[in-house]
Amino acid sequence: MKRHRVARSSGVAVAAALVLGLLAGSASSQPLPESVSYCLNCHEDKQLSLGLKDGSSMSLYVNPQDFARSVHGKQLICTDCHARYEQDHPSGATFPSKRGYAIAAYETCKKCHFDTYTRTLESVHYELLKGGLDSAPVCTDCHGAHNIQNPHEKRTMVSRSCATCHVAVYQAYAHSVHGKALVEDGNQDVPACADCHAHHQIEQPGTKRFRLNSPEICIRCHGDARRMSKYGISTTVVQTYLSDFHGVTASLGRGASSAASQVVVTCIDCHGAHDMASPRLKGKEAMKATVAAACAKCHEGASPDFPAAWLSHYEPSLRHAPLVFLVDLFYKIFIPFVVIGLVLQVLLHLYRASAGR
Amino acid sequence: MRDAEAHEYVVRFSFWACFQHAAGILLFGVLLLTGMPQKWPYVEASRWIIEHLGGIFAVRWLHRVAGIVFSILFVTHLVVAIAGVATRRNQPALLLNRKDFRDAVDNIRYYVGSAEAPPRFGRYDYRQKFEYWGLIFGALIMALSGFILYFPILVSRVLPAELIPAAKVMHSNEALLAFLIILVWHMFGAHLSPESFPMDTSIFTGKIRKEKLRREHPLEYEDLFGKQ
Repeated sequence: MKRHRVARSSGVAVAAALVLGLLAGSASSQPLPESVSYCLNCHEDKQLSLGLKDGSSMSLYVNPQDFARSVHGKQLICTDCHARYEQDHPSGATFPSKRGYAIAAYETCKKCHFDTYTRTLESVHYELLKGGLDSAPVCTDCHGAHNIQNPHEKRTMVSRSCATCHVAVYQAYAHSVHGKALVEDGNQDVPACADCHAHHQIEQPGTKRFRLNSPEICIRCHGDARRMSKYGISTTVVQTYLSDFHGVTASLGRGASSAASQVVVTCIDCHGAHDMASPRLKGKEAMKATVAAACAKCHEGASPDFPAAWLSHYEPSLRHAPLVFLVDLFYKIFIPFVVIGLVLQVLLHLYRASAGR
Repeated sequence: MRDAEAHEYVVRFSFWACFQHAAGILLFGVLLLTGMPQKWPYVEASRWIIEHLGGIFAVRWLHRVAGIVFSILFVTHLVVAIAGVATRRNQPALLLNRKDFRDAVDNIRYYVGSAEAPPRFGRYDYRQKFEYWGLIFGALIMALSGFILYFPILVSRVLPAELIPAAKVMHSNEALLAFLIILVWHMFGAHLSPESFPMDTSIFTGKIRKEKLRREHPLEYEDLFGKQ
């Protein structure tokens, strides 16, 4: 019965949509579907609002252009998301608060984005939400509601949405070698927030597990020779860290059955996490001081010379760490010399024994 | 005479010598098992071993404990050996002399067929002496470089810090060399050579068959039993 009423009244909407389309002019090249226009009859009114139980009021205004330009503009109609309002609308119902409405309504996204939604259930944000922190972000806080853009095309947009809450972290990032390149130059090779912290399954970054896994994040790009060659950055930084005592500890310490009983130095301790600077621009002396400070965090009583035990990502050579290079060279010659000599004598012994005495 | 000798034994090693060898097997085994996976930490087998030994921190702890015990054994060995020679209770039979180098050349000549008979060896032949001195110098290098790696901060206060990565390269390579020498030389000499196959038991029982002594260490045999 009621359904009929909606259908009949949509005839009015067609006419309204036509008028609207003319009024809006060239704002949107695609005319909105008629059912959307029907809703906009009322929701285009900037004054339209709803009184909430907490005494505040929530604007019910929808900018038609924002919706038309969004990724959903061509694919969805209002009731795809706002399913409850297909019938008997407005019903006069209201909500506890503006935030309460957002939290109740965001679940509608999972109707289509189910895999993404389930990933968010394992994120630190969902943990916080579940724990009663209403300000923890839900889908619409990062992606928007009516103005949703393709996040793969608008990477800075994603980082800015993090900045709404993580102000200080974002400021540090925006001034870092990565952030500057993305924000100022639109460089697509550098990571935005979500490239390191994941998009939906966002892990608590303060844990030991995250820390021990963090080199993997850096290696994704810094181990990629093609990407690094554009900037003259060597990928040996990866091997030299991984083959070092600390790199081995980090790699093995995160094994499922072995919990790290101590924290170990990772990339971020010397290079920074959000405020990473180019070691080249920072200069040798400043970098040395940073490394010394990182060593001192665990190695109490280390001499100022102690950081020299770390070869600063250099492969040993006659120029860098000649002693290490020469020891290695000695064994590279000595081991085959001794072993081949012994094997030869064993073979001669067997030859003589089989040839008879 | 020879038939009788086949069942006669001569005491060759003291209990102390046998104990050192047994302890050496155990410690070398533990050090290899906990050390090699650290040398190649990204090999799947290494990760399996480390995981099943209780994780990297347990493995490093085991390695250090075994290293300390091995170092104590090594120092005790040197003290006992030097004291034994100084008090004239033992002959310094393992010292290298000119005859060993001559023996090595003569033995190779015998192998290739340009000498009729192998050289006549004393209590230890040059191959055994080579292995002994390899072990002594190897243990010295392993203990010193191991100490540097165990106490890097202490070392860097007194010596240049570059010594620490150098010690790591040394420790790792010397270990590989020792392992390969044991694998190629010792396993052949003690197990796979036609003279010893399947196993030369004298370091476990402390005694050697009289007939084997006469064949392999004729000069010692003559010292003990006179020329025949």
